[in-house]
Amino acid sequence: MRPILLSGHERALTQVRYNPDGDLIFSVSKDQQICVWFAHNGERLGTYRGHQGAIWTIDVDPTSTILASGSADNTIRLWDIKTGKCLKTWDFPTAVKRVEFNEDGTQLLGVTEKRMGHMGTIVVLDVKIDVEAEQTDEKALTIVCEESKATVAGWSYLSKYIIAGHEDGSISQFDGKSGDLLYNFPIHELNQQITDLQWSQDRTYFITSSKDKTAKLISAKELEVFKSYATDTPLNSAAIAPNKDFVILGGGQAAMDVTTTSARQGKFEARFYHKIFEDEIGRVRGHFGPLNTVAADPTGKGYASGGEDGYVRVHAFDKGYYDFMYEVERERANKLAAAAATAMA
Amino acid sequence: EDAERISSADVAVVEARRRQLLDWYSWRETTEEELIEERLALGLPENPLAELLKEKTAEVATVVGEAEEQVIE
Repeated sequence: MRPILLSGHERALTQVRYNPDGDLIFSVSKDQQICVWFAHNGERLGTYRGHQGAIWTIDVDPTSTILASGSADNTIRLWDIKTGKCLKTWDFPTAVKRVEFNEDGTQLLGVTEKRMGHMGTIVVLDVKIDVEAEQTDEKALTIVCEESKATVAGWSYLSKYIIAGHEDGSISQFDGKSGDLLYNFPIHELNQQITDLQWSQDRTYFITSSKDKTAKLISAKELEVFKSYATDTPLNSAAIAPNKDFVILGGGQAAMDVTTTSARQGKFEARFYHKIFEDEIGRVRGHFGPLNTVAADPTGKGYASGGEDGYVRVHAFDKGYYDFMYEVERERANKLAAAAATAMA
Repeated sequence: EDAERISSADVAVVEARRRQLLDWYSWRETTEEELIEERLALGLPENPLAELLKEKTAEVATVVGEAEEQVIE
């Protein structure tokens, strides 16, 4: 199937996200715009205006009512998804690089940038998923990252842990309530920053991507590294496909870092790896620059990628994607089907 | 002889994959069970997203109901 090209942004994409129903795609870019699109046809529904700087991050609450965004203008904003109205602005001393709602939409975390005189932090805000409600000014929690700044962070299942990925290639596990640091492990190459952290649907495990050209699959509770996906290019983003055992990786060398300037050198492709066997199983071309962000449709119908080239590309999976199976997977599927048939009889 | 060597290498690969698949799905099974137990112990629904969406749909339904009542009056 042909991909849908979403053109509306004027500068590099920084993050794309689906809502939980998979019918809307939200995108943010360095052009200071937040856009919302219909996932099935790529029609732009609208934009959310107000930020005064590059927007680094967005997230949608679980009921698709409120949108949160974080920007280089040192604010986190909440938006009414339907009307586009800005509901709340929180000010910080530095840029906000990542926002994420917890699973029930009662709390929002924000990762703030490190700068002269300011440590990088992870803040937690109590939020009300109600466009009429007054939102609190107070922070519920501030975690200061003294060792290495956090570049990404997210909430585990039951909001038990906050997991952060750091500039030095390590990950941290914090208690979700107290903010106490429980563990910090180096998982990617030293000082190769972690560029993305995305969850499985039940938030019991997650995937990280790094400039060290690998992505890793890790459990939220024990921080066990289950799988490692080795590529040949620095990675900016990684997502877990919901209903197939695949992961989707995006990256590519920035033009200024490539000595010979050819698109092929940059390797601007989305890569599919088998989640369990760690093999590369396919690539999708299209972008003219590195892929800065990839997102999997939570209903399993497709995926979206956002590029340094200013485009969002939305791909619907075809039959070959759903049919693809290793022999041992087919064997297991047959066994399960046989067991189910016996149980029925 | 070559064919035999290849096929035994294939068998090893397939065996390794079978093990990987088994390990992964047994981890998933235990984790899913633990998660449901933990949720129920906390008095939370098994599937938080489904519950939240149900509440939202219920709200919309109430609002629509009210509007209809007004029209009838």
